[in-house]
Amino acid sequence: MTGEFYYREIMAPGVALFDYDNDGDLDVFAVQSAGPSRLFRNDLSSTRALHFTDVTAASGIVTNGYAMGVATGDFNNDGCVDLYVTVLGPNQLFKNNCDGTFTDVSRASRTDDAGWSVSATFFDYDRDGYVDLFVGNYVEYSIAANKQCFSMSGSLDYCPPHIYRASPSHLYHNNRDGTFTDVTVKSGVGREYGPALGTVAADFNGDGWPDLYVANDGQPNQLWINQQNGTFKNLALLAGVALSPEGLAKSSMGIDAGDFDNDGDEDIFITELTGQGHDLYVNDGRGAFEERSAQSGIRLASLPFTGFGAGWIDIDNDGWLDLVTVNGAVTQDVESLAKNEKFSLQQKKQVFRNVGGRFEDATKLAGSAFEAREVSRGLAFGDIDNDGDLDMVVGNDNGPLRLLINNVGSRKHWVGVQAPVGSRVAVTASDGRTIWRRSHTDGSYESARDPRVLVGLGDAAGQVKVKVVRPDGTTVEQNDVAIDRYNKLP
Amino acid sequence: MLAILVAGCSKPASKPAPTYTLRNVTLPDLSHAVPSVQQQLKDGYAALQAKINGAATPSEELSTAYGQMGMLLMAAEYRGEAESALLNAQTFNTRDPRWPYYLGHLYRLKGDAVNSYASFSRALELQPDDVATLVWVGEGDLDGGRPDAAKPRFERALSLQPRSVAAQYGLGRAALAKQDYSTAVEHLEKALSLDPLATVIHYPLAMAYRGAGNQEKAQAHLALRGTLALKPADPLMDRLNALLNSALSYEVSGADAMDRGDFKAAETSFRKGVDVAPKEPSLHHKLGTALALQGDKNGAVQQFEEAIRLDPKFVKAHYSLAVIQADAGQTAAAVQHFTAALNAEPGYVEARLQLAHALRRSGQLEASLPHYAEIVKADSRLPEARFGYAAALIRLRKYAEARDYLTDAMRTYPNDLAFNNALARILASAPDDKVRDGRRAASIMQPVVSQIRASDILETMAMAQAELGQFTEAVRWQQDAIASAERAGSPGIAQRITDNLRLYQARRPCRMPYRPDEPIEFQPSGPAIQSPNP
Repeated sequence: MTGEFYYREIMAPGVALFDYDNDGDLDVFAVQSAGPSRLFRNDLSSTRALHFTDVTAASGIVTNGYAMGVATGDFNNDGCVDLYVTVLGPNQLFKNNCDGTFTDVSRASRTDDAGWSVSATFFDYDRDGYVDLFVGNYVEYSIAANKQCFSMSGSLDYCPPHIYRASPSHLYHNNRDGTFTDVTVKSGVGREYGPALGTVAADFNGDGWPDLYVANDGQPNQLWINQQNGTFKNLALLAGVALSPEGLAKSSMGIDAGDFDNDGDEDIFITELTGQGHDLYVNDGRGAFEERSAQSGIRLASLPFTGFGAGWIDIDNDGWLDLVTVNGAVTQDVESLAKNEKFSLQQKKQVFRNVGGRFEDATKLAGSAFEAREVSRGLAFGDIDNDGDLDMVVGNDNGPLRLLINNVGSRKHWVGVQAPVGSRVAVTASDGRTIWRRSHTDGSYESARDPRVLVGLGDAAGQVKVKVVRPDGTTVEQNDVAIDRYNKLP
Repeated sequence: MLAILVAGCSKPASKPAPTYTLRNVTLPDLSHAVPSVQQQLKDGYAALQAKINGAATPSEELSTAYGQMGMLLMAAEYRGEAESALLNAQTFNTRDPRWPYYLGHLYRLKGDAVNSYASFSRALELQPDDVATLVWVGEGDLDGGRPDAAKPRFERALSLQPRSVAAQYGLGRAALAKQDYSTAVEHLEKALSLDPLATVIHYPLAMAYRGAGNQEKAQAHLALRGTLALKPADPLMDRLNALLNSALSYEVSGADAMDRGDFKAAETSFRKGVDVAPKEPSLHHKLGTALALQGDKNGAVQQFEEAIRLDPKFVKAHYSLAVIQADAGQTAAAVQHFTAALNAEPGYVEARLQLAHALRRSGQLEASLPHYAEIVKADSRLPEARFGYAAALIRLRKYAEARDYLTDAMRTYPNDLAFNNALARILASAPDDKVRDGRRAASIMQPVVSQIRASDILETMAMAQAELGQFTEAVRWQQDAIASAERAGSPGIAQRITDNLRLYQARRPCRMPYRPDEPIEFQPSGPAIQSPNP
């Protein structure tokens, strides 16, 4: 922290979990703003022990500028996951060479978006088999144009976003030749924008085509519904996901889509500022939502927190998606400032346990790591130790990266499915329940997660039936799939 | 930190004095605060100490002293110390509803919903007929997912104050939370009828109509929605918010007044802010804006110029000043200030758009083009940039280029009929034979005239008919255009467009898409229509 209250200081970092070397375990890419970002290789598959080695130098990844977040996706379909780093300044696309090294193809690919980019999403919006790229941009900002803001008593503080002008986000179409074309205008996505912080792609209206949700800071959120012809329409207002139930734009940050009520559609969770309360938009299956955070038990418990990274995660593998948020304020607490605490934005993390569609604040049960007060931003889920439950990595602002290992999920049965990113996966358990999940890497905040689908089965010990709906609409079904292991479906 | 004090302990008393459990209230390190706030807090603290140390100060007076200190600390956002002071105030006088009420707000601001609800509930016990307290307790019930408990709070508030918009709005949202859409519609419609300017109500009302299956009404209300939060009238909080003598406090209260449309009150707040912080350019800018909105252009210009003097790179002041100058026809000065805004912030799209407009409207057509082009490249939210570019091409008589540009714009913005109209005009009446295409012009305009009967639209249709040689039709359309202008109260326009009527009556087509005195400006469209394939 510089002590100059530069706005960019409070917005990073993100973190990615991805298997860059295809050895079957998740590696970690830790975004660093003030210095070079780091790639840590997970040595689990070779040593059977959870240990990471810093392979940044060998990987050839050299991040420039003030990096913010990261997205992952195999943009050239060579079977190796590539890395897109969002930056305050030109973004960077690192092509995975499938030999443990990466090549910076930012300029050649034409994805070196020059705005202040925060979150990004790889998704195949035209279902041509190649992932396209949406880049969420925040506000027009530079250190030279940094503005000074003050608290009520006159002390210097970080500014709110409305002090700056929102920056247009961009949609890039994958040309299938290693380059992308900016289709922001052509696709209609440029018609409306706000200060974008969270982005997630999913089929929200159940028509088989991926849509896009963008969480904006202090301005209405957008739900870009795929028109199946290369264009999108923002239907967020009528869908009921643009604003709070009172009709006000909130300070939306982290985001995830998932089927928390197990009714087969994608519901939306968004983190907000202290005093606003997080949002739970419940989908009716056709893309119309109702905000039910108060009724579900989330609102009251979330009011004291400023949430960034967030996501649906079945922590205890009971087949119901729980929630995790990682938190940290964006304005100084003047009383801490008075005690000479120069960066007094720390808050604890939160866990909400899903009990049949209602949520309980289970933070106290989650261990001391959740009680630690930090300025958390990025959050990525993944089965880091390959034991059948989802662990997490947290990116902290002005603090160390945190690796949190789940010790409870693997006590229950589970099944893992490896399917193309963007697939929807239905698992019918031996107790008759059918649970829908989707393979994705996006959501949360500035972060990328494990694309493997991991479905908790509770005490249902028998084999399961698995159906995969691929991004191109084709399906594959398999009966008698073994549980308590990962399965790769054709 | 807890401290045990006994009121009046410095003097022996004839009977045992009551014992109070109090919190220690200290003055925080104020070094980060501005001098005016430091002084206020020091004075407040000294006054509190005087009461504490005073001989046999009655507990009611101690309560008030702690309460006033708590209010001041709360206003300055020293919330921990404010909580201690207000709790002490509450301890010394358990019957004064102000202190639990302020505590309710204090906890609400901290996101501590449980303590906030408990405090508001305590305040309500002490003043069961206070509408603001009833509404805040109802809001607490809604936050807690208890719409059934919220309902009687809002109903009670309405029985006490039948015109309380906040209470009707609360009842509507309670019904919405219970998915009782017809009741929600009823309450929210009533709320809106009580205060049509409370446009935030349109959004939950739209959701209620959507739930009730009336998509059309839902869409209509969404189009009208506003963004200003609706709160109950709250004299106690108004008093607290007016306490602090700091620039930001005045700036916030001024901004609130601006949001309410009370520009005079905003001016008053901003002037107080300027008195406290005369070197703060944003206050001068906001004061200038409040003055401009009251019609005091000269006063506004003075404030904008002062803001620029204090910060030559203050882009908003340059922009606001330039807008006033452009309106007054001072194009050169406006261009200078729009340019200054852009030099300081090249991504300031609105400034670039206004600069381009100013250049074009003053005849500097070639100079306007690169600015429009840059906006089009950077920001597709603004169809008027594309339209401005096309308008400059038309004025430059580059009709073929304008035709192609407008054709492309029509595809990009199929709902903005201004592009259809401009393209059809060129196709119908450009002097260049290779550009004109009367059939296509008529085809473009047919669906437009079926929806819009404005004079410029009807005139374009007349041009298209004349180009097709259908002069009788052209005369009829032109007569309709003249009648429309007269109906719209624009006799000047009606008179001017009689020239074309004479042309058509003489069976001659028009060869001038826009007259030199006719503005070519973007008009946002109404509902979308299916455009023909251009």
